[in-house]
Amino acid sequence: MAEEKKEEKKLSVPEYFMRGAKKGFYIGVELIAPAMVMAYALIAFLQYAGVMPLIGKALGPIMGLFSLPGEASVVLLAAFFAKAAGAAAAASLYTAGTITAAQATILFPACITMGTLIGHFARVVLVCKVRALYYPILLVTPLIDAVVVMLMMRFALMAMGIE
Amino acid sequence: MEEKQAKKEKVTWKGWISLLFLIVSFSGLCAGQENFLKAFDLNSLIGQFGHAEGAKVALQGAGGAGAREGFVVALTLIPTIMLAQGLIEVCENMGALHAAEKLFHPLLHPLMGIPGVTGLAFVSSFTSSDVGAFMTKDMYEAGMINDDERTIFAAYQYAGSAVVSNTIAAGAPLVPIAVVPVGAVIGMIFVVKVMGANIIRFYLKYYHRKHGAEGEAA
Repeated sequence: MAEEKKEEKKLSVPEYFMRGAKKGFYIGVELIAPAMVMAYALIAFLQYAGVMPLIGKALGPIMGLFSLPGEASVVLLAAFFAKAAGAAAAASLYTAGTITAAQATILFPACITMGTLIGHFARVVLVCKVRALYYPILLVTPLIDAVVVMLMMRFALMAMGIE
Repeated sequence: MEEKQAKKEKVTWKGWISLLFLIVSFSGLCAGQENFLKAFDLNSLIGQFGHAEGAKVALQGAGGAGAREGFVVALTLIPTIMLAQGLIEVCENMGALHAAEKLFHPLLHPLMGIPGVTGLAFVSSFTSSDVGAFMTKDMYEAGMINDDERTIFAAYQYAGSAVVSNTIAAGAPLVPIAVVPVGAVIGMIFVVKVMGANIIRFYLKYYHRKHGAEGEAA
């Protein structure tokens, strides 16, 4: 039995690489492709239905703090449900020319930081068995983190002279 | 128990080299080099698709939109994720995480006010959301960390959980667009993760001052 366990543990470097790459392939097929199809179709829907300019106008002032257009709020909303959906939405807005590469870069760390907020609450906070009394503040913390990281990225890009 | 286990794992030179390789290649330190250093840059290794003659954008072409465009872009991302995951898997198995643990062990207390025992869970949480969380629960139940330390550590793990794999995998659509290397993005997320943990750390301090001792039932 011990031998079996050992055998499972000892792979050669190329085998480890291939195992990881295979995992990566399935991430692409099972996570990224569905998220991209959803996000690109959703952005197309919002654009054709004429909702996008309204979102842009309504949230423009807030998103302006991060030197982002109002439309970029769709990215954060999508990220709230799933990190990959947020990242895909940002890529889609970039393809459509709504945001620049620099603005996509500002959104990138925020998509990860506050992404999949509820799903990971279950997987991390509930699994750690944190006292229920602390749930609300723990839920809010990634949002604060996301705001800070967007400002950090914005100023880092400004310092690098990228707008 | 966790501590004993962590101490038994010796950090080999392979571990240090693989950690160094991961940090250098993902951080883009060697980006834009035209000499042998090019081999140590993740983006150079990802490479590029060939262009059809006269075409400006490879594979996905130009002017796509909607579900079809999303699908094609997703396809173009698969080699990126495969390569990154492959490298991470190799480096993990060469002991990069143990090297990282040794690196971070003395820093955890000053950084977030959690004891060094959490080192293994801390480094595991770079690449897995679940392993770190399970270990945290176990460490609390074994009395190795107290309730506050558990809460602070959970806050750290929660934001952007499994920051390295999530940035590479879930963030894959943005990796080729971003104007900074993916390592810089991971670095910044790490900084705010630590900041978030400290928000909780000070909140708990304030909370206990207001409500008295810790043991108070919820």
